[in-house]
Amino acid sequence: MPLLQVKGLDVRFALRGGDLKALRGISFSLDKGERLGLVGESGAGKSVAAFSILNLIARPGYIAGGQILFDGQDLAAMNERELRQIRGNRIAMIFQDPMMTLNPVLTIGTQMTEAIRAHRKISRREARAIALDRLTKVQIPSPARRLEQYPHELSGGMRQRVIIAIALLLDPEIIIADEPTTALDVTIQAEIMALLLNLCEQENVALMLITHDLGVVSQVTQRMLVMYSGRIIEQGPTREIINDAQHPYTQGLINALPQMGEPGARLFQIPGSMPSLNNVPSGCPFHPRCSFATDQCKRTMPEYVRSGNVDVACYEVANLIEQEKRMQEAGS
Amino acid sequence: MSSPLVSIRGLEKRFDLSGSFLEQLRFEKGRLRRKQEAVHAINGVDLDVHKGEALCVVGESGCGKSTIARTVMGLLSPSAGEIHYQGQRIDHLERKAGLPFRRKMQMIFQNPYASLNPRMTIQQTLEEPIRFHNPGWSPSQVQEKVYEVMQSVGIGPDWGRRFGHEFSGGQRQRIAIARALAVDPEFIVADEPISALDVSIQAQVLNLLMDAQESRGLTYLFITHDLAVVEHFGTRVAVMYLGRVCELAPTAALFASPRHPYTQALLSAIPKLEDQRPNHIRLQGEVPTPVNLPPGCVFHGRCPYANERCRQEVPQLIATEGGGQVACHAVEERRL
Repeated sequence: MPLLQVKGLDVRFALRGGDLKALRGISFSLDKGERLGLVGESGAGKSVAAFSILNLIARPGYIAGGQILFDGQDLAAMNERELRQIRGNRIAMIFQDPMMTLNPVLTIGTQMTEAIRAHRKISRREARAIALDRLTKVQIPSPARRLEQYPHELSGGMRQRVIIAIALLLDPEIIIADEPTTALDVTIQAEIMALLLNLCEQENVALMLITHDLGVVSQVTQRMLVMYSGRIIEQGPTREIINDAQHPYTQGLINALPQMGEPGARLFQIPGSMPSLNNVPSGCPFHPRCSFATDQCKRTMPEYVRSGNVDVACYEVANLIEQEKRMQEAGS
Repeated sequence: MSSPLVSIRGLEKRFDLSGSFLEQLRFEKGRLRRKQEAVHAINGVDLDVHKGEALCVVGESGCGKSTIARTVMGLLSPSAGEIHYQGQRIDHLERKAGLPFRRKMQMIFQNPYASLNPRMTIQQTLEEPIRFHNPGWSPSQVQEKVYEVMQSVGIGPDWGRRFGHEFSGGQRQRIAIARALAVDPEFIVADEPISALDVSIQAQVLNLLMDAQESRGLTYLFITHDLAVVEHFGTRVAVMYLGRVCELAPTAALFASPRHPYTQALLSAIPKLEDQRPNHIRLQGEVPTPVNLPPGCVFHGRCPYANERCRQEVPQLIATEGGGQVACHAVEERRL
C-alpha cells in the first residue's frame, strides 16, 4: 500500500463570481521513500496540490471533494487538532522563500527547539541536541554557532539549509518541497538539491518536489506528474517521460527548452499561454494550444490511457495506441 | 576586427553604504574615527560589444551583471572608467547631448509587471518614445509606426486600447520589447528579459528577440543567470564573478571547454535533462560580500586550485587557444 494516496482531489476557491476550480479531481500516490516530482507552469495548480495535502490552503480555498489517505487516515476529513499531529511531524514542508519561512525575531535555535517541543515532551536541552544534530546533517558550517544566530545573519543558501534541518527535526516520513531552490543561484541550487536528495535516500524519506525546472526533476525524482490547468495530464516514471513524453503539452515543454534546440536556431514554441482558472476551455484544457486538437478534444476531457508505464490523458495518444494495437492484431 | 559598437573600458562602480559625513563617524577604542564602506559592484571591467552580436553576461546574484547593464545605458554613472558608443565617449554626457544615443540604445527589463506604466494604455506606452524622439512627426506617422512595431512583435492592433494589467507576463514582455523597438534602436540591453516567465513563454520571447535581431540587425547585450539560454542565444559569453570578468569566450568554445574553475563549476551546476543525479563540481563556501573584496583573485576562497599567488595578485585576462580570454593564474601557469 502506498504511503500517501490522493484520490480525486478537488480544490476550489469560493469567490464572489462563483467557485474557481483550482484542482479538478487529481489522483496520485507516493510510496515509502519514493521521490515524486510535480511539474507545471505557474497557475497549473502544483502548489495548491502540495498545500492541500496538509490542508494549508487558506480561505476562500477549500477541499470540495476527494480523499488524501496517509497511512490509512483521510487527511481531508481531519479536524485542525488531528492534522497538527501530522503536520511538521510526520509530513514536513519546505517552502520556496527561506526568508519568509523563518521568523526574523527568533534565533535559529529557538525556532528549532520550539518545533520539536510542540510535538514531543522533552527538555530544552534534549531538543537542542536534536537541533544541533540536524544542522550537522545539512552540512552547515559551524552548526553550534548557527543556533544562536538570527535568520538575517545567514546567506540564502544557509537559510535554506536551516529550513531543511527544521523539516528533518522530527524524522518525517514525507517531505513536501515547494520550489525549494527557485530563489537561489545555480551553484547553490545544485548544492541544496544534492543535499536534499542524499538526505532523503539516507533517511528513507519520501519526497514530493514541486518545481518548474525539468532538469531538476530529472536529476532528483523517480516518478513525475505533469499538471496543466488543475489537472494531471501525464504521470509515470521520470526517465520514461523525459525520454519519450506522450502528451503534446509535455512534449512541447521539453522541446521548448533552449538545451533541446540547435544553438542559434529558433526554439520550439507552444503557441498561447495557460488559460486562467476563471476561463478554462471546455474538454481538454490544452486544446486551444494543441496542434492535434479535434472536435472530441473540445467537447470532453480525455480519460487516462496507458503507454508503457506512463498514464496520459490525451485522445491523440489514445488513438495512436489503438492504431498500434490494430496493426499488431492484423500482423498476427 | 572592425571597431566595436559599444566598448566598456576600466569600468568601476561603487555604491556608498556609509551615508553622510556624520553617520560615518564612529567611536573605536576611545577615538573618533571616520569609517567609509562601499559595495564594490564592478571592479575594472573591459568589454567590447561588436555590431550584430549578442554578448551575454552571466553570473550569480551580486556579480555586477545588472550594474553593467544600467551603467552602459546611463541609468547609473560609473565611479571610474569610460563607455564608448561607436568611438564616442557617452558616460559623461549632459542630458541633451546624450539624447541621440538614447535613441540608438534601448533597454528591456526583467520584470514586465514593473516596467509598464499601469496608467497608460498600450497605445500610449508605444507612442511615447516615438513622439519623444521624433518631435516633428505627424500623428498619422506616429500611428503608422505604432502599427508597424505592434505587427513586428505579433501583437494585435486591438491591444492598443487596453492596459498593461490586462495581459499575462509573456504578453507584457512582448509589449516591453515593442516599446524598445519603437524608435528603431541599433543596440539593445536586455536585463534578464525572460527569467520572470514560464518555460513555454520563455521560448516565445527568445524567438521574438532572435527574429528582431535578424530582421533589424540588432546588437544585444544580454544579461542573464540562465546558462542554457546563453548557449542558445549568445555569440560570445562573459562570465562574471564579484564585479570582474573571469572568462570571455565565443559561446561554443566556452561550453565545449570552459577554462576558468568558476565557469567549470557554473556549467556543471546546470540541471540537465539527461542527468540522473546531480553531478556538479562542489565549491567551498559561498560568494563573499562585495563590501570587503578579498585580495588577489576574487575567486580564490572557493577555488580548489588556489595557491599563494592567487591570494595576492589579481589575475588579468589572457588569451586562450579557443579564441577566448581567461583571468586565472592556474590556467596561465598551466596548472589547469
